Amino acid sequence: MAEEMKMVEPGRGKRKFFKTQGHKKSSKKAKVMPPQHGQKKVKIDKKMKKLFRKRAREYNSDDEEDDEATVPATLEPKSLASITNKRNDKDGIESEDRSEDEGAAGPQKTWNKNATDMNYHSSDDEGEDDDEIQPGITKFTEGCRAFKMAFRNLMKKSVPDDMLGPILSGQRKLVVDKLAEEEAERKVKGEAKKEKQMLAEKGHVKPATYLDSHEKFLISVATKGVVKLFNAVNKAQTAQRGLDPSRTKDAKEIRKRTKQAFFSELGKPSLPAIGTTTKAKESTDRVEDEQPAWAPLRDNYMLTSSKLKDWDKMPDKNVSDDMGKTSEDSSSDED
Amino acid sequence: MRKKKQGFRRPVIIKKPKQPQEQPSVDPITGKKIPKSFVFSRGKLPAPLKQLQMDLRKLMLPYTALSLREKKRNNLRDFLNVAGPMGVTHFFILSKTATSPYLRVATTPQGPTLTFKIHEYSLAADIARSQLHPRCPKDLFKSSALIVLSGFVSGDPPLQLTTNMFQNIFPTIDVKTVKLSTCQRIVLLNYNKDTKLIDFRHYSIRLQPVGVSRRIRKLVQSHQVPDLRNLLDVSNFVTKAGYGSESEADEEAATVTLSSDIGRVNRASTKSAVKLHEVGPRMTLQLVRIEKGLCSGEVLFSEYGKAGGKGKSDDEMQGEEDEEDQDGEHPEDSED
Repeated sequence: MAEEMKMVEPGRGKRKFFKTQGHKKSSKKAKVMPPQHGQKKVKIDKKMKKLFRKRAREYNSDDEEDDEATVPATLEPKSLASITNKRNDKDGIESEDRSEDEGAAGPQKTWNKNATDMNYHSSDDEGEDDDEIQPGITKFTEGCRAFKMAFRNLMKKSVPDDMLGPILSGQRKLVVDKLAEEEAERKVKGEAKKEKQMLAEKGHVKPATYLDSHEKFLISVATKGVVKLFNAVNKAQTAQRGLDPSRTKDAKEIRKRTKQAFFSELGKPSLPAIGTTTKAKESTDRVEDEQPAWAPLRDNYMLTSSKLKDWDKMPDKNVSDDMGKTSEDSSSDED
Repeated sequence: MRKKKQGFRRPVIIKKPKQPQEQPSVDPITGKKIPKSFVFSRGKLPAPLKQLQMDLRKLMLPYTALSLREKKRNNLRDFLNVAGPMGVTHFFILSKTATSPYLRVATTPQGPTLTFKIHEYSLAADIARSQLHPRCPKDLFKSSALIVLSGFVSGDPPLQLTTNMFQNIFPTIDVKTVKLSTCQRIVLLNYNKDTKLIDFRHYSIRLQPVGVSRRIRKLVQSHQVPDLRNLLDVSNFVTKAGYGSESEADEEAATVTLSSDIGRVNRASTKSAVKLHEVGPRMTLQLVRIEKGLCSGEVLFSEYGKAGGKGKSDDEMQGEEDEEDQDGEHPEDSED
């Protein structure tokens, strides 16, 4: 019984020792040199050697003194293992604090916890199972951590994008406002120019390419006037051809003919529109009846100044007549 | 000796520019004073009205200042001082307000001033552009224009004054001694009683021989060689009669027997047809006001200024209203 008790106790102690040793080794390998596989193999050989030695010692466990000697040796590595475990815990706490400081969300914390649990499970598995699986698991854990950091960085970066957004939108709005203002100014200027042109072109009419009835009427009136003038000129000059105005007889005949023409023209009142022109011509004829055609031969040639005076006085008389008539018109309006 | 000979140069002869012939101020035959005119503007005119001013100067051309220039500082007295020694008898003054442009016709030293409102106007370039074959012979503006007044028969004093004014603007014609070749242009003033508007038109006179076939007439008038490809003989060109235009039907009324030769075609004692082509400015005027002085003085006639009431007080009121109208309608004058 005592022997069985003794046998049971050292077995339990041995198993615990194995677990602690496994923790130490896995953590050391992951942290120190993950990429190098050769060194890992070397370490494995050392482990195998230790395992073989332990098994040899177990087979030699009949001596009590030997057991006591082995126990303190195992205790010393325990303390080392505990120290390393504490370090690991501290590192985890720091990482958690960092996440909190950074403002990570709740699920990230839970995710971190799950990760830690996975770490423990993986360590247990490593201890229990073969050593070949360890490097793959370690890579996965490393990848997880890298993923965390990358995700956090992305989350950090996304925030300034939101911040930049309103600035850009503001700029866009400003540009739109400027364009609208410019267009409005152009419209205003265009309208002002159009108004100026309208004022300048007021009354300016472009004539039609064809002749209106009004235009035809005007042309016919002008043509009649021209025809009448040319006919009068023809009559006067043909009658006057064979005569020399310097001779007294010829001058007398000229006077007679001009009188006849005058009376004949008086006998045509049918065209009142042209009457005024004929009146003007008649007045000229009257003046010329008394005098020869050439100015120096006239009696009053040297007295042209008197004529000028009379000419100046004429508009005054007309003005006075107009005054009287306008007054009469106003009085009639009153009545 | 050789060097001197080589260095010899011909003397430089400076030719003096010929002075332009002075226009006579008195008609040598009739002994009357030839009327001359200034066409200028008061205030700043837009481009179309400036062009109208130039067209009016051309209209009055042999006896007017074609390149007269005025400055902002010039006032009416400056033009009067210049007009005296030059023998200028009439002023045409163009101005513009927000309502419409205005034309003033005034006799120079003290004469009455007629103010017309220009309802519509067309420039000479516009009219030339509207015609298929605009006509402008080189001698068109070397002699003064004739004037025809129609519709001014009623005895209203303002119309009489208008008639007298326009008749005196252009030189008088002596029926006995005038040459028909100098009658190149005609100005028509037509008064419409209903609308009280005066149509102002400017035509050039052209004479065509009558009784000659169209082809021969065209051949003689223009020196172009006719197209004889479709004819078998030269006699076909003479014998075959071309179609006349629609306007030739009215030739009988517009036929004239000439007393002297005009040009190469129209001979004496043969009949010629009178054709008129519109040239130059076209205006629709309305007589608005008549002032006794030169752009000043008592208002003899006003289209808008009449008011009902008693005689003397009415006269005073009319005067005040006219003055107000002047201030309101013509701020440029007040500025001057």
